[in-house]
Amino acid sequence: MTKGRKSVVVATRPTPGEPRPYHFPPFERAVLGNGLTVLTVHLPGRPLVNAQLVMRNGAADEPAIEAGATVLSSRALTEGTERYDAIELIEATERLGASLHADAGWDAYTVGVEVPASRLKPALELLVEVVAHPTFPESEVERIRDERLNDILQARADARRRADEAFAATIYRDDSPYHRPAGGTRATVVPLDRTGLERAWTRGLDPARMTLVVAGDLEGIEPTRLADEMMVGWKRSAGAVEPGPIAAKPVAGGRRLRLVDKPGAPQTEIRVGHVGVPRRIPDFHAVSVLGAILGGLFNSRLNMKLREEKGYTYGAHASFDLRRAAGPFSARAAVNTEVTAAALSDLLAELERIGAERVSDAELRAARDFLIGVFPLRFETPGPIVQALSGLVVHDLPDDELATYRERIDAVSADEVLAAARAHIHLERSAAVLVGDASVVASSLEVVGLGPVEVIRDDDELSEA
Amino acid sequence: MVSFSDERLPNGLRLIIAEDHLAPVVAVNVWYGVGSKHEVPGKTGFAHLFEHVMFQGSRNVGKAEHIALVQAAGGTMNGTTWLDRTNYFETMPSHQLELALWLEADRMGTLLDALSQENLDNQREVVKNEKRWSYDNRPYGTWSEKLQAHLYPPEHPYHHPTIGSMEDLDAASIEDVSAFFRTYYAPNNAVLSLVGDVDPAAARQWTERYFGRIPANPSIPPLGDTSLPPILGEERREVVEDRVPLPRIFFGFRAPALGDERLDAIDVATQILVGGRGSRIYRRLVRDERIAQDVVGFSLGFVAGASIWAGWATVRPGVSIDHVERSFIEELDRIGHEPISADELARAHALIETEELGALQRVEERADRLAMYATLFDDPDLINRMLGRYLSVTPERVRAAAAQVFRADNRVVMIYVPALPPAEAVPGPLETIVPGDADGDRSDEEAAA
Repeated sequence: MTKGRKSVVVATRPTPGEPRPYHFPPFERAVLGNGLTVLTVHLPGRPLVNAQLVMRNGAADEPAIEAGATVLSSRALTEGTERYDAIELIEATERLGASLHADAGWDAYTVGVEVPASRLKPALELLVEVVAHPTFPESEVERIRDERLNDILQARADARRRADEAFAATIYRDDSPYHRPAGGTRATVVPLDRTGLERAWTRGLDPARMTLVVAGDLEGIEPTRLADEMMVGWKRSAGAVEPGPIAAKPVAGGRRLRLVDKPGAPQTEIRVGHVGVPRRIPDFHAVSVLGAILGGLFNSRLNMKLREEKGYTYGAHASFDLRRAAGPFSARAAVNTEVTAAALSDLLAELERIGAERVSDAELRAARDFLIGVFPLRFETPGPIVQALSGLVVHDLPDDELATYRERIDAVSADEVLAAARAHIHLERSAAVLVGDASVVASSLEVVGLGPVEVIRDDDELSEA
Repeated sequence: MVSFSDERLPNGLRLIIAEDHLAPVVAVNVWYGVGSKHEVPGKTGFAHLFEHVMFQGSRNVGKAEHIALVQAAGGTMNGTTWLDRTNYFETMPSHQLELALWLEADRMGTLLDALSQENLDNQREVVKNEKRWSYDNRPYGTWSEKLQAHLYPPEHPYHHPTIGSMEDLDAASIEDVSAFFRTYYAPNNAVLSLVGDVDPAAARQWTERYFGRIPANPSIPPLGDTSLPPILGEERREVVEDRVPLPRIFFGFRAPALGDERLDAIDVATQILVGGRGSRIYRRLVRDERIAQDVVGFSLGFVAGASIWAGWATVRPGVSIDHVERSFIEELDRIGHEPISADELARAHALIETEELGALQRVEERADRLAMYATLFDDPDLINRMLGRYLSVTPERVRAAAAQVFRADNRVVMIYVPALPPAEAVPGPLETIVPGDADGDRSDEEAAA
């Protein structure tokens, strides 16, 4: 249509230049006299230093009857020490312009600080105070427990959180930790007190199994020496326990169709899948490429079908949640109520197709190039580098795992992706869990072939799904 | 300190380049001086729908291919629409910079070549699902739309939300897309910022090659008078029934426009009031009195007339909504009338400094800020002066700005209450004693409404 006059743009696509070599930043490892490991990464030009202490005890390691204790323990850890009450601790941290935070998830309990490099030492002193002398004041524990109980109510009303929790409760047997939310259920949280939270904290308190990770511009700073001065006196707690195996057991059969009724909801939140795989698997890189092609890239099969072709959703995704034990594999989308059955059918069809034939060369190349290319983007600043190194610790991965990531992604073949799909995605034992308006959606779902619909009505009572 | 070059192509495209060779990464950000404030009645949500169409292809790029090419090049990208502007950005491995420039130029120059009814209809459905997902199907999800409508009069362009209404989205036509593109998507209405591992000479050459022949639009219509009285003039109140388990009280105020130094003082006040675990309102309502589940406060800076200060408190079960509202407002009043301590100000400044340092570490954020300050203030160097502005805010300026903004006749209070009384849905020992609730007002009549 523009023949005969000069185009305003250039039709020819540019070709890429020569990539600059990239290596994941090298880190140094030291072990203190008490067994504490220190990993340091010097990143010139990054004046905000990130330091994190990692303990390999998470919510998956707590007894079922105390579910939620580890997560709540991390919230209470910074609420007071032998020397400082909570407000003194908060104000001292703020004066440094620092954030001092403790977090716990399924796999680990961490205590971290982010602070300008010039104030790293006083910030680490506060971190040490919190780790060495926490008091878990009863009054703050009560507040944190009540906040979690209120949060459980909020989660019920939020379609996305409701869907995630109902999905986990559907695919895992009820004697698996992953069956419940990491923050615990109403029944397990109500009786929690300071002794339960302290027990969750000390479970990982063994210097020989703890690692301090420090990254940033460390010019003129010796984190290992600082750690040696401040942390070498830490001893193994009497309550420390070597983490055992985590039971991640799927429910028998698996295939179910559940609908949590949310009257009047304009969208249905869909989760489809089953118990997946742990982080430490031989075909991790093939699984990463598989996830990108199925539901990770914008141009993934799920997003192209449900969003760009059908307009059913703002986004459709699939992923493996890789934990110490087998986390969930799920495909997900929020679709407008009236297309729920059609969207669910499309989603199931894509799960079937990914295991039926090899992905195309173009798909394979795009996924590999994306994962390889964004790797340096992900690790531009100290925070994500600390998180990645903490991941090595938590999952007991070799030191060169990150350094070799890109070449191993590049080596993944279409056959390996197909093998990973066949090994790890199982349509025949997939459960579908929906949160939506049952009066509109329920009767249409019989056609998708997952069997009868089991409708859950939250308003009846707060029973466990 | 961010060093940058700042120049214009003959067609008006503003090009800002900042080198940083720490990582082999480059951020590309294109800001267009058009946002939802340019929408006319009956066309709300259009600027954002248009942003989606920008990913549906152009003369030399197929549908969804823009994103495919960026991701296959190892980059990330997105677009966002807000009241004052629309922006499109990519973060690329540095050897792929030229591709990002070519892609941005192709859609700036030739979007309409690829426009089809089918693609528009598809993205209309996607955007309606975005609205359902981000607003309609979320607890308390309607608050921002309601707050904008309260704070700005119907004739003001900030009165309506960027996401728009379902009716207006349904009404958007191919002709609307064409007219919008021809009017606003011109190089003289855009700023292109490049930050990171970039060779400025090469980048300049590519920019001229790919963008240089795109014609300017000499007649972009001005927005019109958007001035507003600095205060609302009355307190506005609304009770909203929603499917929520806990009541939440939203507070809104008209605040000084973005760029006004009084907004800097309000931002420092916000840090002191609700900026962290040591802040006044968090400490009183969440920690000490334990009447709120959470508290939040922030400013939303806009250039046309007035900004928004918004905050909320989620009311704990069994606590009087009225009590929480009064406590929150008492703290807003107090900062306007009692001096803040040197230590409080120093802590707020230290936290703001770390936050600024953290944000500016990333090339993507620097590219965004440079383009923002150039687009909204014709002053990209603000990136180097904002921290100093925050750090120079004095206790007296905090007090004065707070007294001017946080007043009853400038206030919107919206109370979200459970459509079902929480007492019916929540068995068990959640009754909370309210320490310090000396007036004995424990009534729950609003929650039970």
